[in-house]
Amino acid sequence: MRAAVDALHPGPPMKLADALAIASSPAPASASGTYTLALVCSFTPLHLRTFLHAGLRQRFPTHAVDVTTGVYDDMAGTLRNLRGERVDAAAIILEWFDLDARLGLRRLGGWSPSDAGSILDRAQTWLAQLRHLIGRLTRVSTVAISLPTLPLPPVFSTAGWQMSPHELRLRERLWAFAADVAQDARVRIVSDARLQVLSPAADRASVKSTWMSGFPYRTVHAARLAELLVQAVDNRPPKKGLITDLDNTLWHGVVGDDGVEEISWDLDHHSQAHGVYQQLLGALADAGILVAVASKNDPGVVDKAFGRPDLLLRREQVFPFAVTWGSKAEAVARVLETWHVGADSVVFVDDNPTELAEVAAAHPDLECLQFPAGEPDALLPLIAHLRDRFGKANVSDEDRIRLESLRTSAVAMPLREDGDGYSEELLEQAEPQLVLDFVQAPGDTRPLELINKTNQFNLNGRRISAREWAEWLDDPETFVLTASYADRFGPLGKIAVVAGRAHGSTIAITAWVMSCRAFARRIEHRCLAALFERFDAQVATFDYLETPRNGPLTRFLRELTGVTPAPGLRVEVDSFRAACPRLFHRVTLRTELEHA
Amino acid sequence: MPDTRARLVKCFSAVFPELSEREIALASPLSVGAWDSLASVTLLSVLEEEFEVQIDPDALDQLVSFNLILDYLHHEQQVS
Repeated sequence: MRAAVDALHPGPPMKLADALAIASSPAPASASGTYTLALVCSFTPLHLRTFLHAGLRQRFPTHAVDVTTGVYDDMAGTLRNLRGERVDAAAIILEWFDLDARLGLRRLGGWSPSDAGSILDRAQTWLAQLRHLIGRLTRVSTVAISLPTLPLPPVFSTAGWQMSPHELRLRERLWAFAADVAQDARVRIVSDARLQVLSPAADRASVKSTWMSGFPYRTVHAARLAELLVQAVDNRPPKKGLITDLDNTLWHGVVGDDGVEEISWDLDHHSQAHGVYQQLLGALADAGILVAVASKNDPGVVDKAFGRPDLLLRREQVFPFAVTWGSKAEAVARVLETWHVGADSVVFVDDNPTELAEVAAAHPDLECLQFPAGEPDALLPLIAHLRDRFGKANVSDEDRIRLESLRTSAVAMPLREDGDGYSEELLEQAEPQLVLDFVQAPGDTRPLELINKTNQFNLNGRRISAREWAEWLDDPETFVLTASYADRFGPLGKIAVVAGRAHGSTIAITAWVMSCRAFARRIEHRCLAALFERFDAQVATFDYLETPRNGPLTRFLRELTGVTPAPGLRVEVDSFRAACPRLFHRVTLRTELEHA
Repeated sequence: MPDTRARLVKCFSAVFPELSEREIALASPLSVGAWDSLASVTLLSVLEEEFEVQIDPDALDQLVSFNLILDYLHHEQQVS
C-alpha cells in the first residue's frame, strides 16, 4: 500500500556519478535491440546526455541505448540531418538563446530598448522554421520538446517584478508555437509545471558552466529535465481501471448510517475533496478508463445514492458495482474478473487502511492508494498521481465505447458456467460482425497501442517501439491484420492485431494481440482462418513465448493443436480447419487491392 | 582523511570507469587518454556533487592529477 506522494513530492534526483556508472555499464548480452534517442540542442549536451542515457537504460533494461547529438550551435542543421535517420525518438531542448542569441549570456549582441523588436522578429522566424523541421521529423519519430527552462535574462526595459510587453509577446509566440506542434500526436511537450515541482527555477542555471563549457544547466536541473524527457519519449500506456470505495471516499459520510440525503461532497459540508474526486473519476470514465465500485454496503442503498442528481460520477459511468457485506478483497476480485484485466493495470482507492491492507495482501500487483479523508491538502497529490497513472494524449473511439461494451457483454452475453465461453446459441444470436483490415493507415496509433498494452492474449509479450512499427509498416514483405468487432449489443472497436510475414505457403506470425474485451467470441479463430485464406497458406508458424500473463493465448493454441505450445509452434491448415469451431461472424475483408 | 581519498577514487571511477584503483592514484591528463576538456568538466561536476563544494574555474587548470585534486580537497575541508 502506498500513499499518493510521488507526483508532487518527488524523491531525490539521480546523481551524476550514478548516471555515469549506469551509462557506461555494458548493455545486457541478450539486448533485444538498440533504443536510439537524438538529443537536439544548441549547447554542449554534456551531463544532459549522460542523464538521458542512464534514464533510458533504466526505462528499457532489455535494450542497448544510443543517445546521438548534433553540432554545437546548429539546431537547424541537427534537425535537418535527422531526416534520413531512423531514431526511436528525438528530444529537442529549446532555450531562450535559441530564439535569439541575445537572450543568452554567451553572446554580446546588445540589450538596448531598440533591439527588442528585432529579437521578437528573429524569434518568430526561428519558431516558424523549427515548426517546419519538427513536422518532417514526426513522420518517423516521436518528438519530445522542452520549452525554455532557464530564466529569461533581464533583456527588456522593465524591472524584474514586471513583465514587459516585449516579454509577453515573446512568451505568446513561444506558447503559440508549442500549442501548434502539440496538435501532432507524436509531439510531447514537457510540462513546465511538473518541471517547476522537480526543479525550482532558481536552481536551474549555471552561469559558471555556461561560460566554462557551454553547458547551461546545474547538474541537478539536468537530472530532473532528463527524468521528464525520458517519461515523455516513452509515454507508458496508462492503467486501465480504477476501483473506488464509497463511504468517506467517493462521498463524505456513511450512507448506510447517515442516509442518502446526508452524504455530501461540497463546500457547505466541508466535503469538497470528495466532489473533486468524483469529478476526476467522471472525467477518467469519459476518457475510457474503467471505473468500478467495491464497497461494503447495502446494494439497495447504494443504488438510491447513485440516483442523486448532484453526484458528479454518474451511475452509467461505473461498472460493475461490487457492493456486498463480504470481503473487500473478494469484491475487488469480482471486478477484475468482470473487466478481464490484471491487477497490475488497476488502482484501488479507499480511505480505510485496514481495507487497503486486506486488498493489497490479496492482490499484490494492485496499486492501493489511501483517500485522504479529512486532509484537504493531501488531495492534490492524490489526484495528480491518478492523472499520471491514467493520463493519455488522445481519447480514441475505442476509449469511448470500452465501458459500454463491457457492460453490455456482461449483461446480454453471460459466459457459460463451465468456463467454456459463450454458448453456440448466444454467439449466433449476437449477430457478430468483423471487419478484417489488411491495410493500415500510417497515422492510426491504435494497433501499436494494442500491441504495447495487451498482456493476456499476447503471442510473446514483446513491446514494439514507434520506430520499429514504422519500419514494419514500410516493409513490403510484412503484413498487418487488424480486426474490428461489433454485434447487436454494440461495437467493441478495433480489438485485435496480427503481424507477420508470408513466404510461399507459410505465414510466420510474429505478433498477435487481442483485447480482453473480445475474448470468447472466436475472433482469434476467424483471424487465423482469414490469414490462411488470404495468403493461400498451408502452414502457420508462431513466434510464441510463454509469459507470466499470456495464459489465454497459450490456452487458445493448446486447444487448437492439442499440445502445449512452444517457440516456433507450427499449425497446418488442415488441422486448423479440423479443430476450428463453428464461426458466426459476418466478415468484411479489406485488402490493399480493394482499397486501391 | 582516508574517507576523502576513497570518495575521490569513486569520483574518478565514475568518470574514467576503465581505470583501476592503482591507475587512478597515478592519473593525470598525460597518463589518461580520456582525460580531455569535457572529462575535466565532468570530473569537476562529480566532485562538486560528491563533496558539496563549489570549485573555482580558475583552480581547474591546476587540478591536473589525482594527488593535486586530493590536496585541494583536503585544503578546502580544512578551510571550511
